[in-house]
Amino acid sequence: MRNTFRGGVHPEERKELSREARLRLFNPSGEMVFPLQQHIGKPAKPLVQKGDAVLVGQRIAEADGMVSAHIYSSCSGKVKAVEKRRVLSGDMAECIVIDNDGQFTCAADYSVRDSESNLSVNEIVQRVQDAGVVGLGGAGFPTHVKLRPKNPDAIEYVIANGAECEPYLTCNDQLMRTNAPAIVEGLELVLRLFPNAEGVICIEDNKPEAIHAMEIAASGKQRISVRTMITKYPQGGERSLIQAVTGVDFPISKLPADVGCIVQNVGTLYAIQRAVLYHEPLFSQCFTLTGEAVAEPANFMVRVGTSYRELLEANGGLKPGTEAVKALAGGPMMGVAMGSLDVPIQKQNNGLTLLAEDPVAQAEKLMTACLHCGRCTTVCPVGLMPQLMADAAIAGDLDRYERKLYGLECIQCGSCTVACPAKRPLMQTFKQAKAEIQAKKKREGGGQK
Amino acid sequence: MNGMLNLSSAPHTRDKWTTPYIMRMVTLSLLPATIVGILVHGWNAFGIVALAIVSAVASEWCFNKICRKPDTIWDGSAVVTGLLLALSLGPQTPLYIPVIGSVFAIVVCKGCFGGLGKNFINPALAARCFLLISFANAMTIKPSLDAIATATPVGALKAFEQVDITKMFLGTADGVIGGSILALLVGGLLLWSLDIIHGQICFSVLIGFTLLIGLFGGEGFAPGFLLAHLCGGGVVMGAFFMATDYVTSPVSRLGQFIYGCLIGVLGGIFRLWGNTADSFSYAIIIGNVCTPLIDTYIVQKPLAYRKIGKTRRVKREPFRIPKPVIALTLIAALAGVALSGVFSVTKDPIEKQELAAKTASYKEVCPDAATFEVPDGAEEKLQEAAGSTTRVNEAYIAKDAAGNTIGYALNVSSKGFGGDVTLALGLTADGSITGISFTELNETAGLGMRADEPAFKEQFAGKSGTLNLVKGDAGDGEISAITGASVTSNAVINAVNEGLSFYETVLKGGN
Repeated sequence: MRNTFRGGVHPEERKELSREARLRLFNPSGEMVFPLQQHIGKPAKPLVQKGDAVLVGQRIAEADGMVSAHIYSSCSGKVKAVEKRRVLSGDMAECIVIDNDGQFTCAADYSVRDSESNLSVNEIVQRVQDAGVVGLGGAGFPTHVKLRPKNPDAIEYVIANGAECEPYLTCNDQLMRTNAPAIVEGLELVLRLFPNAEGVICIEDNKPEAIHAMEIAASGKQRISVRTMITKYPQGGERSLIQAVTGVDFPISKLPADVGCIVQNVGTLYAIQRAVLYHEPLFSQCFTLTGEAVAEPANFMVRVGTSYRELLEANGGLKPGTEAVKALAGGPMMGVAMGSLDVPIQKQNNGLTLLAEDPVAQAEKLMTACLHCGRCTTVCPVGLMPQLMADAAIAGDLDRYERKLYGLECIQCGSCTVACPAKRPLMQTFKQAKAEIQAKKKREGGGQK
Repeated sequence: MNGMLNLSSAPHTRDKWTTPYIMRMVTLSLLPATIVGILVHGWNAFGIVALAIVSAVASEWCFNKICRKPDTIWDGSAVVTGLLLALSLGPQTPLYIPVIGSVFAIVVCKGCFGGLGKNFINPALAARCFLLISFANAMTIKPSLDAIATATPVGALKAFEQVDITKMFLGTADGVIGGSILALLVGGLLLWSLDIIHGQICFSVLIGFTLLIGLFGGEGFAPGFLLAHLCGGGVVMGAFFMATDYVTSPVSRLGQFIYGCLIGVLGGIFRLWGNTADSFSYAIIIGNVCTPLIDTYIVQKPLAYRKIGKTRRVKREPFRIPKPVIALTLIAALAGVALSGVFSVTKDPIEKQELAAKTASYKEVCPDAATFEVPDGAEEKLQEAAGSTTRVNEAYIAKDAAGNTIGYALNVSSKGFGGDVTLALGLTADGSITGISFTELNETAGLGMRADEPAFKEQFAGKSGTLNLVKGDAGDGEISAITGASVTSNAVINAVNEGLSFYETVLKGGN
């Protein structure tokens, strides 16, 4: 029995490039850059100064408030500077720069398993918080916040997200194949926080090896089951998964916890297991280097702070004779187009995709007027009508956009944009409309005060 | 790796579908109907198709040049417009008509409203209606295939006359070039199975139309009657190719359903009570005009707002029959129904014709009779005989205006060389033959068929008793056989003898 959600698209997968490459640890040699903001929430506050010696796993910045996360060094060496550096978004942001000595001397031994078996709920969450774990699916929301919903007893499902619906990326696939027991253990730890919840591991059916490995690891566990999902984007979206598992759709104003669900990426669950049982803070995560322009597509356990360029150049570089026209942090659906590779890998990043051809540039040449074909409406996983939304947004009728068409419910998955035969830049229009509506609300709100 | 990298907002991939792809598929799906139309209707049809397409593309190119707009002929929409227009014209239409139509469609209906995606009515349909109103005479569909035919099938339908559904289904009837329902269905269902057209539009059009015709057409839901209406007057082409035009149809599923039903019902109303046979085009145009209204008010809510309360319904992998399978099954089923539909529509007239032929034959053999009455006690005898090779089918007493029995009329059969030989046998009141008249004779031409010649038939007059067949000259109680057709001759004699003995045993005794 395969589960799924309504709508969605089938972008070209291209996972075959890297799917069989085993995860391996990559130790960089150059300087490491740690942006203070690698999560949703307030930036962390630096704990080190220029000249300080640091070790692997040493906390170099601490969370500022509840919705924030600690940052740990992934290398040993000396702090070179705390200064503004260019980061993934293209902006200059405050970063801690560490001169890597190449020794990777650890602050503690992370291979020793904690013998304590009766950890309290608070202890588990505290250890997750101390380790600076954030959602590794891409959003980077601090995990300890997610693990403390208002009413833990009302949580019915803890969903382990192993769908990996993003084209090209395969690191979660490899992580599940090689570390299935650890992921299941991470899920069991989370389940301890939610006494009434059932653990569901969701994997798309294009990863049979991962499904097999997870089924073996989960066999005999009372509260955990593995469910196969139809391969379809955005299957790995939080809302799509909840819809597939429980059948519930909920407005964007509500959180998954409001409908009794907690969704955790398998990478996050692995990090939770490392943090709780081995006291290992989050300083590395799984990562895919792939794309048609890459000589040796591969999967890594990559250290936070590694430069994208160094990872690429130390691992075969570009395929001879090809020119990368587009670099994506992540995959082609949710990834960010990079202006430069000289930026550090952050906690929530999970891939570098180098494209030899840019489908967007090609699509721009094929752009025609909207045909009203309704494909966008068919594929929208939220059930919106993107074509009418775009009409309203372009006409400046933001009231219709928001109230009649529920434009703010858009989860910005990009399915409509992929499906559009006229190659209209729908999602960009929606982002802009959303920003305009929010700006207007802010203005009006400010006027009343 | 030091070249400039492209920047753009996510997503960074696109589907294979493009506007030209859709237009190519629509053109492809119209090809079967085009080919059948050209094969059936000949070179003039080809000329119309070619001219319509060429002038549509040319006028789009010229319009863009004059208005200094980007060249859009490669999106393929002009080709589709031209082709649709050509297929909705009669095969004998003068060649200037498609040119005028295409120019009107592209320049007035599309270009002036802003080009592809901006027109509010389907350009091909609007052009067709423009031509119908402006050039009524040239647009009249003239019979080209059958010189005797007086009206197109749709005209005949409006007049409640009989039509040949098989011909309409295959496209060999008089009508527009794209008149082959089978070919249109193949194309339309192909588009549907490729998810290019929305099933909720084309099927709701057909359902709305069928319901209206069935409820108010006066014939109920008789399959032959409904099929005849569905096969005629561009209903199928309208449902699959015109109403489903993206630009002029609503986007939401509910909106599409309303739109489809509206067109179907309007088309039915126009068909039943309108004064033109080409009413379906107008129904679709009214649907087109309603589209912006539907799109404004019929808007689907996001999934999260649709359900009342908190229904927990896990969406499993849906069990779906692949659309191509459904499409093929539908075509096969419809072809079957359409072919058998011929029978149910034509069965009635065949029986009526037979009845008329029988009555005429009785008149011929009993010219003085005013009325024919069923004799008492004959019914059982007739039923006993039914099924045997040589038999009496019917027997009547012929009476004059005063009510006196002046003779008997029988319908008798026997087996001939080419099936049953059936004839009317007239007897005087005393049992001698007044004459015979064949109602069914399918014998060999030049041999058995000579039974219908007076030289053979007239031998029977005045004879009675039991007749014998002889070669050469015949005497009393004898009939001279037809040379080289002894089987037929024997059949006639046997049938007549059966009638004579029926007279002796039943009619004579009874009266």
